[in-house]
Amino acid sequence: MSLLKLEQVTKRFGGLTAVSDFNLDLQEGELVGLIGPNGAGKTTVFNLITNTYYLSEGKILFEGKDITGLKTDRIAAAGIVRTFQNIRLFGELTVLENVLTACHLRLRSSVFSAVFGFPEYKREELAMHEKARSLLKTLGLEKYERDQAGSLPYGLQRKLEIARALATQPKVLLLDEPAAGMNPEETLALGALILKIRKEFQLTILLIEHDMSLVMTICERIIVLDHGVTIAEGLPEEIQNNPDVITAYLGTGDLYA
Amino acid sequence: MDRKLKLVITIIGLLVFILLLWLAENYIDAFIKRILNVAAIYVILGVSLNLINGFTGQFSLGHAGFMALGAYASALLYMSPSLKAMNFFIQPIIWPLSEIEIPFFFALLIGGTVAAIAGFAVGAPCLRVGGDYLAIVTYGFAEIIRVILNNLQSITNGPLGLKGLPTYTNLYWSWGWALFTVFFIKKLVDSSYGRALKSIREDEVAAEAMGVNLFKHKTLAFVIGAFFAGIGGGLLGSLLMTIDPNSFNIALTFQIVMIVLLGGLGSITGSVVMGISVAFLMELLRFVESPMTIFGFTIPGIPGMRMLIFALILVITVIFFRRGLFGHKEFSWTWIFRSKGRNANESA
Repeated sequence: MSLLKLEQVTKRFGGLTAVSDFNLDLQEGELVGLIGPNGAGKTTVFNLITNTYYLSEGKILFEGKDITGLKTDRIAAAGIVRTFQNIRLFGELTVLENVLTACHLRLRSSVFSAVFGFPEYKREELAMHEKARSLLKTLGLEKYERDQAGSLPYGLQRKLEIARALATQPKVLLLDEPAAGMNPEETLALGALILKIRKEFQLTILLIEHDMSLVMTICERIIVLDHGVTIAEGLPEEIQNNPDVITAYLGTGDLYA
Repeated sequence: MDRKLKLVITIIGLLVFILLLWLAENYIDAFIKRILNVAAIYVILGVSLNLINGFTGQFSLGHAGFMALGAYASALLYMSPSLKAMNFFIQPIIWPLSEIEIPFFFALLIGGTVAAIAGFAVGAPCLRVGGDYLAIVTYGFAEIIRVILNNLQSITNGPLGLKGLPTYTNLYWSWGWALFTVFFIKKLVDSSYGRALKSIREDEVAAEAMGVNLFKHKTLAFVIGAFFAGIGGGLLGSLLMTIDPNSFNIALTFQIVMIVLLGGLGSITGSVVMGISVAFLMELLRFVESPMTIFGFTIPGIPGMRMLIFALILVITVIFFRRGLFGHKEFSWTWIFRSKGRNANESA
């Protein structure tokens, strides 16, 4: 079943077309890679899906419903959540609080029942703590629960971003360069982790990544963007041998022509 | 420390506090009592501004405006009809207000509510601006309130203000409200809603991406902050027995901003401690405004010299305690007993 569908999505910044005529049909349970050289418009696609940027043209459908123009927080509530390429944790809050904050959107109790500690709120708060702790455990962060998020090492901050995103109970997870700054071993472990959380939380994942070894091993399907245009789409092997993709990444050989 | 013990200590602390209030109300001289009342009001104002500026990270300069609304709305409700007739000698007060007189407590609540509605009106459009721009917008709002109050002759008595207000504010009212404010805002910032507010301060883009409704939470902070500012304004009006629009100017806002900055953005303890300290310092530093002779030079008394001292304190704080005296830290029994225990260990 088609879960997330982007139809002819275009984003223009003044005269620059950052993403042009982009189509995506994400099936439930899929793991799709979105690759391309720097400045290709990959992150812009994420920003358009979560409505951080308004799209200039096109339509976005989620579970068959049109979500174009829906507010960012509503999109998160609907079940699409992202991580950030340039880590955006709540640095002064603790690791646990970061995850708890992401649980907030499912809270039903009112402000007053929260302030005066009514039983319905206390129950929810307890459930949120349990959920947050189990998420931290899944990602191997339970030891750092009380640490300030901003004080964690880089790799763990990336993991915390994933934990925080999972706390919103998403159906679609958009990962923006989760392996950036990781060494080969860490990247390998991250790949296993992504596959694990996909299974455990029944996720559909769209992954932006520059690390080709990671993309080629875990993605079932790959879309290649260059200058905002989709230049190739297909299975990892097909992409690896696609001449357009090689040109986009490496340029052509006629340097002295 | 287990929770029951903490609860017991808290209750004992509260009882001792009430006893002290009773003693102060009955045996202390009027001057000190007045400072203590002002201190409680500063606590209310500081803590409520800290919710907006410190916890939610929305730098607001509108507190004097909210206070003015609370002070006027409540005063117009608790003044007796005859007192109103006496005050409004240029233009009579409009009809329903001329007849109404309700108890102080309910007048205060309505005053707070009026301020809260204004808080919503300011908070809602402020979703679109941030940082310095927000400060300017909220400052502009406070000025608009002041100008409106100056010109609504038949409702506010214009620049003449309201005089001879009955003194309902006593230590029970002021400290009762101060305690409630601290309780309410402390519980709020520790709750899930508080985490959402703090996440907006930390990173607005990430907060929204994680499903925090920016509009709802920013206006929530403004509404609650404004409500308590209105209460504080109402208490202040009844304490000073006179209010006029120009006493709610930017200088008043800056005084509260100073309390929050000195105590630490995001520390309720800091706002409480500095609120009380500033109230006392304002009186203790009066001597600098009287004529004095230093090294043979005679300096005439300059009104406003006190603010210079506060400016100096603020500069020193910014240089040496960049995050205020308390940073993000909060008072807790655990913290007290731990530091005691450590001292005992060190001396042993």
